[in-house]
Amino acid sequence: MWITGLGLVTPLGIGVEQTWAALVRGDRAIGPIRLFDAAGQRVSIAGEVGGIPWPSDLPGHAAAWSRTSVMAEAAAKEAMHTARIDAHDARVGLVIGGTTGGMLETEQFLAQLLVEPASRDALAAMLSHPLTATGDCLEGTLGPFARVRTLSSACSSGANAIVVAASWLLTGEVDAVVAGGSDGLCRLTLSGFNALSALDPSPCRPFDRRRRGTSLGEGAGFLVLERAERASARGARPIAALAGWAVGSEAHHITNPAPDGGLVASLITRAIARAGLTAGDIDYVNAHGTGTPLNDAMEAVALARALGSERTRVAVSSSKGQIGHTLGAAGAIEAAITTLVVSRHTLVPTAGLDEPDPALDLAHVPHVGREVPRVRAALTNAFGFGGMDTVLVIAEPDLGRSETAVRQRPVLEDRSVVVTGVAVFGPCGRLGVEECAALPGNRFALDAPVDPDAHLDLAKARRLDRAARLGAVAVDHLLAQSGVPTVDCGLLLGSAFANVDASAAFMHRVFEKGARAASPAEFPNLVPSASVGHVSIYTGLHGPAFATADLEASGESAFVQAAQLVQAAEAPRVIAGAVEPRSGMVQRVLSTLFERVPSLAGATRADVAAATLVEAEGEARARGARVLARIEQVLEWRGDGGPALASLRGPRSARAQVVLPRASEEADRLLASTSWRASERVLCAPVLGESDALGAVAIAVGAARIGVAAVDDVLVLGLAKGRGFAIVLASA
Amino acid sequence: MHVGDAGNPGRLRSEIKALVVSELNLKGRDPETIEDDSALFGAGAGSLGLDSLDALQLAMAIEENFGVRIPEGDEARAIFKSVRAIADHVAKVRSG
Repeated sequence: MWITGLGLVTPLGIGVEQTWAALVRGDRAIGPIRLFDAAGQRVSIAGEVGGIPWPSDLPGHAAAWSRTSVMAEAAAKEAMHTARIDAHDARVGLVIGGTTGGMLETEQFLAQLLVEPASRDALAAMLSHPLTATGDCLEGTLGPFARVRTLSSACSSGANAIVVAASWLLTGEVDAVVAGGSDGLCRLTLSGFNALSALDPSPCRPFDRRRRGTSLGEGAGFLVLERAERASARGARPIAALAGWAVGSEAHHITNPAPDGGLVASLITRAIARAGLTAGDIDYVNAHGTGTPLNDAMEAVALARALGSERTRVAVSSSKGQIGHTLGAAGAIEAAITTLVVSRHTLVPTAGLDEPDPALDLAHVPHVGREVPRVRAALTNAFGFGGMDTVLVIAEPDLGRSETAVRQRPVLEDRSVVVTGVAVFGPCGRLGVEECAALPGNRFALDAPVDPDAHLDLAKARRLDRAARLGAVAVDHLLAQSGVPTVDCGLLLGSAFANVDASAAFMHRVFEKGARAASPAEFPNLVPSASVGHVSIYTGLHGPAFATADLEASGESAFVQAAQLVQAAEAPRVIAGAVEPRSGMVQRVLSTLFERVPSLAGATRADVAAATLVEAEGEARARGARVLARIEQVLEWRGDGGPALASLRGPRSARAQVVLPRASEEADRLLASTSWRASERVLCAPVLGESDALGAVAIAVGAARIGVAAVDDVLVLGLAKGRGFAIVLASA
Repeated sequence: MHVGDAGNPGRLRSEIKALVVSELNLKGRDPETIEDDSALFGAGAGSLGLDSLDALQLAMAIEENFGVRIPEGDEARAIFKSVRAIADHVAKVRSG
């Protein structure tokens, strides 16, 4: 798989060349924060991007563009420009990883609401920068994209965006993918990392014996990935190749890595093997190397375990002493840097490494970069809160074995993916297959208290916030019913606005009482992937894990992405779902913005979590699983759904139903042009109340109804502003 | 204004126990069942089994509730040894 384009926006410079020259020189861009008032913070230095290139012709509202989106646009545009690809001429996908989205901008509205609690302007803007906004902005300037995915796995988000891109290319559904991450600095992350005492008062010093933490940074990195055959057919040249990768979850602790580095070591071994290489072929590692005592110690142990006797030969450096930890962008920025290291056979250094920690037995590259004869293959590591870890192998394109190895990887021959379990938790209580199938005919008290604690081991769940508790009940119930092995099971949960109420409460404390009042225990719950991390820890899931965000179609995007990962043989099975706790802030915003639309302003919003087990059919049959339904077809689109739905398969029998999260004129209009127009429709919102997790409920209900033979075919149509998903399920 | 009564060590220890349970979300745990001298951190027998993230949260809560800052590093390790050690530190700082 070729890397044909790169784009970078970092504290060292705008664009690949500025950043690269400064990296090799050993420049450091970590200094006092100017972007906002950091008075009262324990540590107030970071890597800030200077001279951000605001696009001159911002489409739509200029206010829709966050700092994060502007950096993403510049880096993605540069990557597409170097690759010479145009989204109009090919099927190009876009995958964006991140954690903060427009939090810097949202913080201003939060501060305003403290002074004027009823400010209509502030409320109207509160939800205008969700994580998905960046993808929407880029769709407008660089699209149209065949697919857009927004994901978060905390500090491995950017690396996981690249893994998703690879899975899309393996299954052949797109020609090229622009993948990366972007994260802007904000008060929330600075306050949170300070609360965790995770920041070094000096610019961070990875692997140094004096290291006292990381330094925050900001930026964006994007890569263009293409299958080698297609790229060479259009005359493109590779910068380097994405040769291998591996993704997994430690399921250990929400902030601390497992000290034995066991999962990371196994990911490194798997990624190298997947590339068709051995440790002897690896010449360089761009480490996660945050500079925290725990991370660097764990990473050194993992490298030693995985590289064995080669570890004293393989050069290792961390770029964080130069650009800081760019969080959701780090995995992508560092993948781009690693690509350049291979392509330009020049090692980049670890800045600030004056006194290497003797406990970490690594071949460092201190202070300045240096040219070497060759860098055949290199690793780049990315680790996120909750233990969501990813390792990428980037190699010379002609290293020989890599392309073949990737091509020969057993992408499922028949591409058959099935649903083998469902669970829903909400005002309806805790439901399994039979109850989900019967859900549409039932009526529940929408204001019934939803008590996840009644179903949880409270000692084990003490760190879980409400969203994670809801998710844990659903996933735990699904696992208990299906008896599925957890060791290789992934977890994808969708969420529209993540934990908006908790983020607001956290920042209110910071605004009112100062940065020292920021809660260290609360902060890890504010990253969009927090529920995923907590649920994987609670239930012991070790497969690929991340959150997806697609407004009220987030559950649909998690399900579709899970099916795509299973199809690409990234994991034999993945639990996909959505979690949305009832949010006072969302309710306040809706009732303010839609005061004249009683159906929106007054809809009862519910605490809802739903989960579905998506599995390769062969794996499911081999373990004797109860197969509920087969995934017949998945369509996803941006803009108008009409053209995409032209290829929608019709129901095979008269026993077919359309399951909709909620009624809408748009759904009526789109269905009218399909052969499902006469099929009976089932709605979820009237039964459970309104929630952004209803798409995941619709999928669970649809699969369950087929599983109990109530119907033969189901179409789930999930719609949100500017996007949609059509999922056809059928009896297996 | 801060709660707590430095002149009454027993009451201060009770307040710290209540704080441990509420801040660290030890649902169902009766604060009074925490021994004054039992270990709070680590995996040893009789230990409450808290970890470094709990230590940070507890330090923040103690600062907020008692107006006493917990130093970082090895000094913190000694102070967080037990409820009694925390109470002694709080009393010492407040009387000094």
